[in-house]
Amino acid sequence: MATDAIGGETPTLFLRKATGLVRGWSVRDSIIYACLATNFVTLGLYEFTFAGPAFPKGQFITATLISGVWVSFLVIAYAGLIVTIPRAGGDYVWQSRILGSGLGFVMAATGWWFILWLWAPIYGNILSVQLFEPLWATLKWTWPNGGAAWFGTNNGIFIVTLITIVIAGLLVSLGMAGYARIQKYAFFGGMAGFAVVVILLLINSHADFISSFNLYGQKLFGVHNAYAATNHAAAKAGYTTSPFGFGPLGPTMLLVPAFMFFLLWPNWGSTLYGEIRGASDFRRVFTGMFAGLWMTVLLTIIFLLLIVKTVGWGFYQNLNALDYNLTPQFGIWPYPFMFAGWLVHNTAFQVILILVLSLWFFGWVGTLFLSSTRVIFAAAFDRVLPDRAAEVSEKRKVPFYSLVLMLLPAVILAAIYAYSSTFRTYTLDATLVIAVTYLFSAVAVVLLPWLKPDLWRASPASRIKVLGVPIVPVAGVITIGLLVFNLVEWLSNDLYFVNSHDSLIFMGAMYVLAIVVYVLARVVRSRQGIDLGLINKEIPVE
Amino acid sequence: MRVFFATDIHGSEVCWRKFLNSAAFYKADLVVLGGDVTGKVMVPIVAHNGYWQAVVRGESIRMDTQAELEEVQKQIRNKGSYPAVVTPDELQNLSDEEGAVDRRFSQEMTHSLDRWMDMADGKLQGGEIPCILNGGNDDIWEIDDIIESSPCVTFGEGKALDLDGFHLVSMGWTNPTPWDTFREAPEEQLREKIDAVVSQIPDMERAIFNFHAPPYGSGLDEAPALDDTLRPMHGGAVMKPVGSTAVRDAINSYQPMLSVHGHIHESRGIKKMGRTLAINPGSVYGDGVLQGAVLELNAKKGKVAKYLLVNG
Repeated sequence: MATDAIGGETPTLFLRKATGLVRGWSVRDSIIYACLATNFVTLGLYEFTFAGPAFPKGQFITATLISGVWVSFLVIAYAGLIVTIPRAGGDYVWQSRILGSGLGFVMAATGWWFILWLWAPIYGNILSVQLFEPLWATLKWTWPNGGAAWFGTNNGIFIVTLITIVIAGLLVSLGMAGYARIQKYAFFGGMAGFAVVVILLLINSHADFISSFNLYGQKLFGVHNAYAATNHAAAKAGYTTSPFGFGPLGPTMLLVPAFMFFLLWPNWGSTLYGEIRGASDFRRVFTGMFAGLWMTVLLTIIFLLLIVKTVGWGFYQNLNALDYNLTPQFGIWPYPFMFAGWLVHNTAFQVILILVLSLWFFGWVGTLFLSSTRVIFAAAFDRVLPDRAAEVSEKRKVPFYSLVLMLLPAVILAAIYAYSSTFRTYTLDATLVIAVTYLFSAVAVVLLPWLKPDLWRASPASRIKVLGVPIVPVAGVITIGLLVFNLVEWLSNDLYFVNSHDSLIFMGAMYVLAIVVYVLARVVRSRQGIDLGLINKEIPVE
Repeated sequence: MRVFFATDIHGSEVCWRKFLNSAAFYKADLVVLGGDVTGKVMVPIVAHNGYWQAVVRGESIRMDTQAELEEVQKQIRNKGSYPAVVTPDELQNLSDEEGAVDRRFSQEMTHSLDRWMDMADGKLQGGEIPCILNGGNDDIWEIDDIIESSPCVTFGEGKALDLDGFHLVSMGWTNPTPWDTFREAPEEQLREKIDAVVSQIPDMERAIFNFHAPPYGSGLDEAPALDDTLRPMHGGAVMKPVGSTAVRDAINSYQPMLSVHGHIHESRGIKKMGRTLAINPGSVYGDGVLQGAVLELNAKKGKVAKYLLVNG
């Protein structure tokens, strides 16, 4: 029997060689995953087009830093949950175990399954505006009808969303093994692309940018003197932005709920963590998510400073405002990286830059349905969903039924999204519903020491203390504060577009659907003589 | 007949106690514990003059009374580790002498299992509730005799046991792992072992396979892919099948009514393989939670009438 001694000269632990004793996962991998999940390029830039015009007095860097600090507490809370119950399934498992099966199912089904139907068209739209539109515009392709602008039409949005759904579905079908490798290359490639943009904006002056913008605005879109025309159009539409700075705090805080669209996801990989654990795991888990989050914060700040230096803050916000008012300057989404590429007067370079930066999308799209299929599997194993939901085809190892449960509704919602501009404004619903799921996990982590004292005492998280106070439940309380603040703002402020009648019905319907599925499962299984209440009932020890 | 199946408790005393109570809790007529009964970790508790010292989960703990010592030992056992009370000299010896840790590990494992068998005697009403135990690939050979000699627990390895008309066959061996553990064999040899034990079954319609290794590619055998240094690849997000092809082929060819497995803790699940219902309840022994499967068997129809995976 082979053994290892841990603890240096005086061993404090002996391990014998046995199955599953593996080294901790690489922190670098976790950082990449968290950075791609809080994707500044796909989600951050996309969100800025909405956030700036909606909250013109808000200051972006301050809001980014406040969000980063606040979300860091969510990272601590989730790291606590991960090392306490390190289980694939994440929120579903934690909430089911700590708060109860019914609540766990409803929150996981809505936050990790149903709402991702809405994320599919959002992903599709991002693919349109960050790859197809700029590529078509740069190459001056006129097919299909209208060229680049076609991707912003109802048909364009629908078709690209279908493409996105197919890509995401295929990636789930093919498995994570190959995709994880692609994801790593995509991250490094995407970072290289971002670095090129940084260099371009750094070495060129504001005058260079104006000149290039005017040149390609004319060349590709036929807009004369495009820089001045943009500012003029925004002013004509009545939009005025505040100068770039750091305050005041009040309007800046209103940007925080908007920035959750990209900064709330450093824990996205938490559904995937398995059994691996150890005394030092809290630090490793925390570091991966925390560093990923702050890498995104750093990229955001670098981008914003360079916009101020080279592009012009007021101009950037004017571009966004025109898009926000559905009158984009060039008829397509104002992609800042395409404009940065114009600083090099070479079409091949511009095309390559757009393609390289699209790696931020392709490194990220594969995770769209991955967590959902895990929740569906877990619910099927718990007999809440029919057994078939967890079936995997023998030959190709495709989770056919769970994919159908994801893809079919996603296609239907894609159609509604594409053909209803009102529905399209509900993008923050997608954040809100997941935030509600997070909220219950935060409640679970706060109540953990009281509801499951043995589990808590045994957890490495219970020993992470500041001034003798366990930091994880405290972080849970601060996370609750973050999520409640956001929920109140989303639900009370019209500017987020989520408190409208239809939007509330859409979200409410998801919760009702989850409750109906769970109640139906309890009734049906009970008739079959299966008591689902037994699933998480603890066997007495003595 | 109602059966409760759990597996891979790896020395967790709290899980063992729960297992012993599971028959009453789930109203089971039979309880089965798959392999990997023994733990993987030994925690030295150093006895000094008038106090004891140990590092538990990274925290240095001083124990001044016998009651405190017993409480810490209980905590260590509940996590699936073995508390080893040693003098400073003995600890030095464990570090220095070749094979000393192995010997102490074996000693602690066998003592622990002896205690468990004594507990079982009381809880299982002297054998009134049938209880089947088996070894797994991580279990040392010495446990076989201890379980075999227990009056109230039946050691299942290599036997075809008749249980009210159902036939249970058990095998704790697995296909090779990166850790080169005790009961590992190449797939061809596994198939021979399976065929040898299955040949004792008179009626495959009512057969239950209790094989520690899950069938390859069934979804019950998904473990994180590891690199050469045994580090999970791609942040642990990439899983790969690591089960046994011999077990898979045996299930496909013999088509027993039920096949229960363990070994891959994180791969909790259910899979229908032809007429066979294959189950891996997984294991989270470190949390003190006993994952298992409650199975209702219909003797008349020779099928699993109901099943539920539970976290007890």
